[in-house]
Amino acid sequence: MALARSTAEIAALPPVIDKSEGYWASVWRRLRRDKVAIIAGLVVLALILMAIFAPYIAPADPLSGRITRRLRPIGTEGFPLGTDELGRDMLSRLIHGARMSLLMGVTPVIIAFGLGSTIGIVAGYLGGWFNTIAMRTIDIFYAFPSVLLAVALSGALGAGLTNALVSLSVVFIPPIARVAEAVTTQVRNRDYVEAARASGAPGFTIVRVHVLGNVLGPIFVYATSLISVSMILASGLSFLGLGVRPPEPEWGLMLNTLRTVIYSQPWVAALPGLMIFITSISFNLLSDGLRSAMDVKQ
Amino acid sequence: MLVYLTKRILYTIPIVLGVSLVCFLLVHLAPGDPLVSVLPPDASEDLKQQLLVIYGFDRPYWEQFLRWVGRALQGDLGYSIASGRSVTTEVLRAVGNTLILASVATVIGFFFGLLFGFVGGYFRDSWIDKTASALAVVGVSVPHYWLGMVLVIIFSSQLNWLPPTGAGPGASSDWQPDWAHIRHLILPAVTMSVIPMGIIARTIRALVADILSQDFVQALRAKGMGELGVFLHIVKNAAPTALAVMGLQLGYLLGGSILIETVFAWPGTGFLLNAAIFQRDLPLLQGTILVLALFFVLLNLIVDLVQSLLDPRIQRS
Amino acid sequence: MTFKLRSILMAGAAIATAGIMLATGVAHAQEKVLRIGMTAGDIPRTLGQPDQGFEGNRFTGIPIYDSLVQWDLSKADAASVLIPGLATEWAVDAADKTKWVFKLRPGVKFHDSSAFTADAVVWNVRKVLDKDAPHFDQSQVGVTASRMPTLRSARKIDDLTVELTTSEPDSFLPINLTNLFMASPAHWEAKLKAVPADVTDAKQRAAQAWTAFAADPSGSGPFKVTAFAPRERLEMVKNASYWDPKRTPKLDKVVLLPLPEANARTAALLSGQVDWIEAPAPDAVPQIKERGFKIYANAQPHVWPWQLSFAEGSPWLDKRVRHAANLCINRSELKEFLGGLMEEPKGTVPPGHPWWGNPKFDIKYDLPAAKKLMTEAGFSASKPLKVKVQTSASGSGQMQPIPMSEFVQQSLKDCYFDVELDVIEWNTLFTNWRVGAKDATTARGANAINVSFAAMDPFFAMVRFTSTKTFPPVSNNWGYFGNDEFDKLIAAARTSFDGTERDAALAKLHARIVEEAPFVWIAHDVGPRAMSPKVTGVVQPKSWFIDIAPMDIQP
Repeated sequence: MALARSTAEIAALPPVIDKSEGYWASVWRRLRRDKVAIIAGLVVLALILMAIFAPYIAPADPLSGRITRRLRPIGTEGFPLGTDELGRDMLSRLIHGARMSLLMGVTPVIIAFGLGSTIGIVAGYLGGWFNTIAMRTIDIFYAFPSVLLAVALSGALGAGLTNALVSLSVVFIPPIARVAEAVTTQVRNRDYVEAARASGAPGFTIVRVHVLGNVLGPIFVYATSLISVSMILASGLSFLGLGVRPPEPEWGLMLNTLRTVIYSQPWVAALPGLMIFITSISFNLLSDGLRSAMDVKQ
Repeated sequence: MLVYLTKRILYTIPIVLGVSLVCFLLVHLAPGDPLVSVLPPDASEDLKQQLLVIYGFDRPYWEQFLRWVGRALQGDLGYSIASGRSVTTEVLRAVGNTLILASVATVIGFFFGLLFGFVGGYFRDSWIDKTASALAVVGVSVPHYWLGMVLVIIFSSQLNWLPPTGAGPGASSDWQPDWAHIRHLILPAVTMSVIPMGIIARTIRALVADILSQDFVQALRAKGMGELGVFLHIVKNAAPTALAVMGLQLGYLLGGSILIETVFAWPGTGFLLNAAIFQRDLPLLQGTILVLALFFVLLNLIVDLVQSLLDPRIQRS
Repeated sequence: MTFKLRSILMAGAAIATAGIMLATGVAHAQEKVLRIGMTAGDIPRTLGQPDQGFEGNRFTGIPIYDSLVQWDLSKADAASVLIPGLATEWAVDAADKTKWVFKLRPGVKFHDSSAFTADAVVWNVRKVLDKDAPHFDQSQVGVTASRMPTLRSARKIDDLTVELTTSEPDSFLPINLTNLFMASPAHWEAKLKAVPADVTDAKQRAAQAWTAFAADPSGSGPFKVTAFAPRERLEMVKNASYWDPKRTPKLDKVVLLPLPEANARTAALLSGQVDWIEAPAPDAVPQIKERGFKIYANAQPHVWPWQLSFAEGSPWLDKRVRHAANLCINRSELKEFLGGLMEEPKGTVPPGHPWWGNPKFDIKYDLPAAKKLMTEAGFSASKPLKVKVQTSASGSGQMQPIPMSEFVQQSLKDCYFDVELDVIEWNTLFTNWRVGAKDATTARGANAINVSFAAMDPFFAMVRFTSTKTFPPVSNNWGYFGNDEFDKLIAAARTSFDGTERDAALAKLHARIVEEAPFVWIAHDVGPRAMSPKVTGVVQPKSWFIDIAPMDIQP
């Protein structure tokens, strides 16, 4: 939903930087001074490690439970975060949930980054009729509010991990392609690109040497800002029953199945949403930090 | 100027056509049985085939599409398979309910967003700015369906102050702005307002900070303009963007209300969409998606036009 | 940091809402109103043939309309049987067993005060079976025709006598007819006349007349519809001149509200927005009881089973394995998990039912016996039997499919079964169910399928699962179970036209089904509902339905 930022904040994107010696070093230096971004980065790192090593960290099997010990409150001995509606250990399920939730949140952005920036860069560089066709097609998809498009697509394709990933990727391609196209058009008209063209350098070389080096950074920063949106949307699909299927531990889906117990174990039921929130806000703060670190004006 | 306006309006036509094609394809290329809602599970394959013919689902896609678009142009979106009622009436009633919710949420979000944004941008890097920015980032990061659930837990389940679901004590068709109905509106509207609040605050803060750092503001100050004057100047410069963001947010909330409406059982378009998806009611599904997408296209158009009228320098491509 | 922010946010919201509390009690007029929260997401269709499964028949069928033959819903402790409705008596033609004569009840009036006659019966049969009838309505066909698979046509003999014709001799016809509700032809004609003249296409006119009829319907049932807000609310008032004095309502008004979310329903009941909710969330049951509400439940003719595959190579071909699985499930523990809201099955119908038939195989929890059977069949802890079952994550009548399936999975582990669950979407599950176990692309290696079903009609309860004539894609014999013996038992039941004889034949069939065990019977649903103690005169029969007419509500 916060995809609306794409339109509103394109203006706030880092300006295209002419890469000079030590640029990345200075970005890193600035980023390092940004305490909030560093903490957010560490949280993201911790979440990723948690996902990778889930089987080693989790105290219990996330899939097996005993009905006789269902819905224990937070702080029960042996189940620090309680148990769910089937008596499964909540802590273990939250830890394992990081795998599917991060996968569902991050993958669409990676796919969309790959496809969207390709479309945008090619369209921006070639211009002309190709640009018109590609960008007008993109505009059609961009004409749908993101949540609506994601829900409609997964609703039509049916629930399931693959379908959810496809739907979310389709949602994120248009904004990334638009940003990529805008940035590339800007770079294309720069003197050094014009000069390279005039000197007869082959198009491919120009793209590789001059364009890619200068546009991928800003597109990448923009893409990172979409991860938090993607996390919320992906879990939202599962929450509606349009994402992964039970008994898979996934935060959105856990939130969905635990909704039935908000009258008996409300705080256990709220835990998976807290995880989504923590992940989403960390990605947002990290992306914010990255953006201002790359902005030389500051 | 006039040329730009005409171009912008004409440009909407292919978008609208493209959008309707996407709606149709989305719904029809999907696997599954379009008659699931009128055919009980124990119906025979034979009966199913007969009904497919009666309903016209055996016709080629292009024919179904043309027929649908042709009728849609006359305002007829067909009949819901599950309920047999006109899709146009169903969608319009739902749009009304969602509009109530989304506009209240936009107003709340806009108010707090502007407040946090202006204050944050004006007192940049002070503790006020930091608090406001933190609230804004929470706004854009919080899974709103979860926030809704938490609010229900607190205000309905624990404190028993506000009703957890529904649009009012009776049918929403007789919605009116009295306390009995507003009670039902508070939780979903507050939940929904969090996103535009965050987005508007962040946009406005960046904008205000940007304007303040520009040379001409320094010049104005140097010329002896008071703080109030500077402030008004900022407001004037930030207004077009703020309005644009607000307009777009309303569009996003209208189209993206499904999660919140599901949590609060609010009888709007999201609720309708949910029903249409799970009943596989194709005419209702494609009609709802189309109307919502067109609303969004229209809002985009209005925003562009208003913005370019307010500030001719901004002409979005 | 995030916690701090959240608490700030919460505090803000709290300040905003504090102080705007008002008394919530809404004074009601002296009218006696019963408000019901249904599980359906929409008001079931009101034009005669409801959708939304049997919940539709329960709330917009039986209260508004009558059928020729009805279920007896007045007893809680005996199986619900057929009783005369708009027909007073019926019999099959002695010479031609495809013809039935129904004598109609005299003096019955529709809500629009037109008279119920043989013409109305013919008209209502044609509305779903005769494509050329001017009032044929495609949208009512699916739900009706599939429940009356052999009915073909109706003919008026005199004002109070009709003849119905079936495609083959079928003693189940009277049972099927509980699903055909009688709508008022005169009222529909009036609606047709009111369609604007500029609509010229006859089909369009008919469709619009039906839409108008749905908004303002007319049947002969104990309640008349007075207000209808689609997806939100249906209001009915009592039909004071109802033909059956025992079912003439004491209530003034009934309000139906669709509340598909279990939590929303529970909240609506607890906060006094409704007086009755269907299917409360099991976890909320203790709280509901604590607050003084009453929980009603009774065994329903409902089966939540695994239907087994008899296709080549299926592990279930061995009867010992089928029996072992039936003996290996600790159903009382499952019942505990469901908060007591299930019945432990002994077969497709329970002991005491007219179709019970004393089967020799006793379905119960007997771990040693189950293990012994499995050992004999050649399996052990080190050499478990792999089985795969398809189920859904949700769906009407599926109760709580995932937790229940996982429970069965765990139970069967003790008897050397290695169960793999294939969770698929509800509608897909149904499609697969029609296609059959031999279709590799849909079955995906599954040799059992978990589709729950209603068992009040012998065709749907037994015949379609055990006849060689109902192999896919004709009907739902997904597992290809059947042989000569079963075909003969079925033929015997279908051609026994005396009610008692028919039931005896069905009892024989049922006993053999239980003995052969083409299912693993896991649970029967009990149709739980919660009501305010003010609602009186409630009888929850052993049925999917419940009669609102005799109920009352105390102020």
